[in-house]
Amino acid sequence: MPIHNINGPRPDYSRYMDIDKGWIDRRIFAEQSIYEQELYQIFARCWLFLAHDSQIPNPGDFITTHMGEDNVIIVRQKDNSVKAFLNSCPHRGNKVCFADAGNARQFVCNYHGWSFDNEGSLKGMHEEYCYDEGDIDKSEWGLKPVAQIDSYKGLIFATFDETAPSLETYLGDFRWYLDALLDNEEGGTEFVGGTIKSMIGANWKFGVENFIGDAYHAGWTHNSGCRAMNNGEPFPPVDMQNSYHASVNGHGWEFGMEGVGDIFLLGRPKVMEYYDRIRPQMEKRLGAVRSKIFGSVASASIFPNVSFLPGIHTFRTWNPKGPFELELKTWVIVNKEMAEEIKDDITKGVMCTFGPGGAFEMDDGENWENCTSVNRGVVTRQEKLHYACGINRKIDQPDMPGIVYRGQYNDSNQRLFYQRWADMMNAPTWDDVPNRYQSRLNGRSTRDIPTMKKV
Amino acid sequence: MSIPAYILETGNAVASLELISEVEQRLYREARMLDDENYKEWTAMMTEDIHYFMPGIETRYRKDRTDQLNDTSRMAFYNDNLEEIGKRLLRLETGTAWSEDPATRYCHIISNIEVETTDNPEEYLVYSNFLVYRNRLERDEDTLIGSRKDIWRREDGVLKLAKRRIVLKQNVLISKNMNVYF
Repeated sequence: MPIHNINGPRPDYSRYMDIDKGWIDRRIFAEQSIYEQELYQIFARCWLFLAHDSQIPNPGDFITTHMGEDNVIIVRQKDNSVKAFLNSCPHRGNKVCFADAGNARQFVCNYHGWSFDNEGSLKGMHEEYCYDEGDIDKSEWGLKPVAQIDSYKGLIFATFDETAPSLETYLGDFRWYLDALLDNEEGGTEFVGGTIKSMIGANWKFGVENFIGDAYHAGWTHNSGCRAMNNGEPFPPVDMQNSYHASVNGHGWEFGMEGVGDIFLLGRPKVMEYYDRIRPQMEKRLGAVRSKIFGSVASASIFPNVSFLPGIHTFRTWNPKGPFELELKTWVIVNKEMAEEIKDDITKGVMCTFGPGGAFEMDDGENWENCTSVNRGVVTRQEKLHYACGINRKIDQPDMPGIVYRGQYNDSNQRLFYQRWADMMNAPTWDDVPNRYQSRLNGRSTRDIPTMKKV
Repeated sequence: MSIPAYILETGNAVASLELISEVEQRLYREARMLDDENYKEWTAMMTEDIHYFMPGIETRYRKDRTDQLNDTSRMAFYNDNLEEIGKRLLRLETGTAWSEDPATRYCHIISNIEVETTDNPEEYLVYSNFLVYRNRLERDEDTLIGSRKDIWRREDGVLKLAKRRIVLKQNVLISKNMNVYF
């Protein structure tokens, strides 16, 4: 069943930007009506990140999270599959789970005692005798499941839209890049225990667009963090000839090719040694290009609201809470094969650099809050924002999939993120969502072709 | 799972009034150093082997046995030694810590102080609660409330902070950053 949009006919959201000239209209960061439309058109239709496999290893393990503003429960099943459903009782709507994580055989509503097994089926009600024959068919009143759920190399995603393309199609050639994070060593990845959440008074898109392509801010915003963590040294200059932006239908990864920058910024010599040691196997596994992409000064986002720093090991979602507020959820992602000592070292490194207490991240929140709050002014709100950096640096790079621009300091991933945003906001159905790049994987496994060939 | 011994330690006996008063004065002085952003003096009040720990707390059911308060291998706001605290503080000396200029206004209020002796005659177990208020720019404000469990150690006659576990009484940090110490 398609998600019913009560807002009626949609305006043309492409008018809020000019991707060819390189500007964005600030109203997309401020208007309540546009925000409501985002919840319907983007968050109720796209594949959204729910959890890492490692967070729910055993049957009955669950976590709760948000898809848009919808609260959901994700549960590991007896057969090792994963189900997700709305955290809302179909009787009066109360939540049936109040914990962030745990293990449960059933979820029971506190209001009238309706109970659901961990497949989401209604099993019984308190004082069930009050219902006469025919009042309720329990098989029809379970917790509402998501429309589709799937995973890619440990990352579990779901969508509320049964007409959405498969997760594989949705991620497309971006999987080639994702492997540099998720598949750089036998055994794959896992999340370290715990989740740290914080509130930022900023529009959710500012977090996503920062990670999708904004290498440019690092040297200025994070000058203090970089110098504090690295013996007084500022960010090294980037190599504009040999660094890139790559975009795949709104997903984006900006990266250098030096192989060590992000790992260096983590500030943990043991972790650097670890990657030096596994680099030859990584190159065999991923090919020369991707083994250099991993670890370089880089950042990435998966449309609409997942971000990570590949060599720094922070992984996060930016959850919308109205046009003027977001909830940041952060985790630490490590390789399963790493010794506990390396995992602990990475965890300490991430907490010192990124996350609310990190020396780098603490200067971001205030920027995004003020980028957002100024648009409460109705005059300010009508001004454009400049997004034209590197607009003529598009290149055909045979060994890298997606739409590629040269030079890490660039707005191209951001422009293409907002183009995808407008595509999703405009499209009545998934058939109307344009494909903006030419696939080089074409259904082949990312493992089979470590090096891309020109099509 | 990795749990530092001091967190599990229980004190032996309530300390003397004289000692309680001495510890209280150290805690109040420490709070004043933090209010004044006098981090040099603050870190001088620590031992070389300090463990400064503030775990991230998920909301979990009572029956859940995950040791969130004590396990240092889980995510934490702070899980620092002296060198790591020093690096964080260096950021403020660079002159480019933009989100601290104009300066934040801090007030650390410390209460519920209990002092107990331990098996080590030079070390005392100290419990306290804090209310940290911070306010910056026009009306940007946070109130952070929680509890602390410390070990204070006498070195050359002076009480120094050797271990601290901080538990913030929030699930979602209701703030954009954690550039504040407790």
